[in-house]
Amino acid sequence: MIEIIGLSKQYGNIRALDNLNLKINRGEYVFLVGPSGAGKSTLIKTLICEERPSSGKVIVADRNITKLRPKELPFYRRKVGVVFQDFKLLPQKTVWENVAFALEVCGATAQEIEDRVPKILDLVGMLKRRNNLPNELSGGERQRVGIARALVHNPKILIADEPTGNLDPINAWEIVDLLTRINERGTTLIFATHNKAIVDRLKKRVILMKDGKVVSDQLRGTYTL
Amino acid sequence: MRIMKLGITNFWRNSWLSFAATLIMTLTLIIITIFVILTLVIGRTTDVIRAKMDVSVYFKETATTDQIIDLQRQVANRNDVKEVRYISKDEAIEKCKTQTQCKKVIIFNNPGENPLPRSLDIKPISADNLDQIAQFVGQEEFKPMIDNISYQDNRMMMERIIAFTAFTKEIGWFLSIVFAFISIFVILNTVRLAIFTRRDEIEIMRLVGASDAFIKVPFVVEGTMYGFLATIFAMGLQWVGLLAIGPRIEKYFGVEMLQQLNSFFISYFWMILGLELCVGVLIGVCCSLISVKKYLKV
Repeated sequence: MIEIIGLSKQYGNIRALDNLNLKINRGEYVFLVGPSGAGKSTLIKTLICEERPSSGKVIVADRNITKLRPKELPFYRRKVGVVFQDFKLLPQKTVWENVAFALEVCGATAQEIEDRVPKILDLVGMLKRRNNLPNELSGGERQRVGIARALVHNPKILIADEPTGNLDPINAWEIVDLLTRINERGTTLIFATHNKAIVDRLKKRVILMKDGKVVSDQLRGTYTL
Repeated sequence: MRIMKLGITNFWRNSWLSFAATLIMTLTLIIITIFVILTLVIGRTTDVIRAKMDVSVYFKETATTDQIIDLQRQVANRNDVKEVRYISKDEAIEKCKTQTQCKKVIIFNNPGENPLPRSLDIKPISADNLDQIAQFVGQEEFKPMIDNISYQDNRMMMERIIAFTAFTKEIGWFLSIVFAFISIFVILNTVRLAIFTRRDEIEIMRLVGASDAFIKVPFVVEGTMYGFLATIFAMGLQWVGLLAIGPRIEKYFGVEMLQQLNSFFISYFWMILGLELCVGVLIGVCCSLISVKKYLKV
């Protein structure tokens, strides 16, 4: 599904990614862990084409995404859902509108929006709060909306960048549960986190990064620095 | 359709910024239009005045009828003269009675006494011949019998109008360019600010896979709206302005100038509207495109 070959990224004198090699299979659940500055965010930005690498390849579904033309980028981004630590919801739009917005900007018809949005909101347990604004929701609820928006295009890959970073433990576990259920439906999940408890409890594949390199890659791993 | 709607929504959401941009654009359009119209109207009025101009030769009381007839014959023989008409003292006073200013002169004189001189009205074939005709009748040999040649006064007036036209053109160009630059500057920065205030939204749009056009076109729609609304405001204000300053134009420049101005505005209404719309929309769209290209990284 995803193959990273000799990926490097240089910011001036800083080497954020250093000859990274990785392979992630379809439907896998992967934790991306490591201390701050390890290169997790740079790797995620490269995976969603926000950053171009200095060298190397990222093959997603048999295509090198580092060579995508600007015109092709929107179509690629629709196939990859992204969940952020700070939710990135539009404050003046309701829960429904925030999710519908992701479909609107891609040219979906009103009928498609009417069909898809309630299903996704139901999946993340936010259908009842569809008319609320983000500032009327708890952190966990906001993140659910963020996940709903990421899933609305029915992506094959879901990248979650510290999705529990701003949440209390109870809300954090609810989000982890939700992401796990989404993975069980067949979506490949890349989950960047600092939360040792979550990583240790789930016992999934754990990729540990340090100084822009993969220092360990365990199939049923735990968080060990 | 959705993109258009988004552009219009954004226009109203940043209503103060949009208002400032539209206002500056309106001023620019008004200034450009006023100077284009003024230049054309003054040019036309000058032509009308020139066409009506003639040379009037007023004779001294001492001039004999033979001398006058001789001069009339000589002038009539010239190739550049269309018509020469002798106006006797009686004819002059009859004509004078129809003119308000002239009437007063008669009232202050004794009844039965006619203070008006005999004269020759010389109409040229073309206004360009006026100088030569005036030179001819102003020769030394005719001077003893001639009291005054009116062409000199008219010529000064004409020269003043022509100088004023040239001055208006220069000022017009200068102000039009200055305001066009101010307008461009304000709109560039309005769009830049709009991009800045909407950076979160733009980032989210980008990350959820919005196409390039979906992100950029609403800003261009906004730019078009500045031009479109500014044209409507400018046309309205010009019409109101023309009604308001009409009497003053008539007072200082004469009724001909006002008529020219009114007829010009009415007969060229669609052309002026089209011109303003083109200039306004062109500035709006170009500025939006430049700002989007420069500040919006998708």
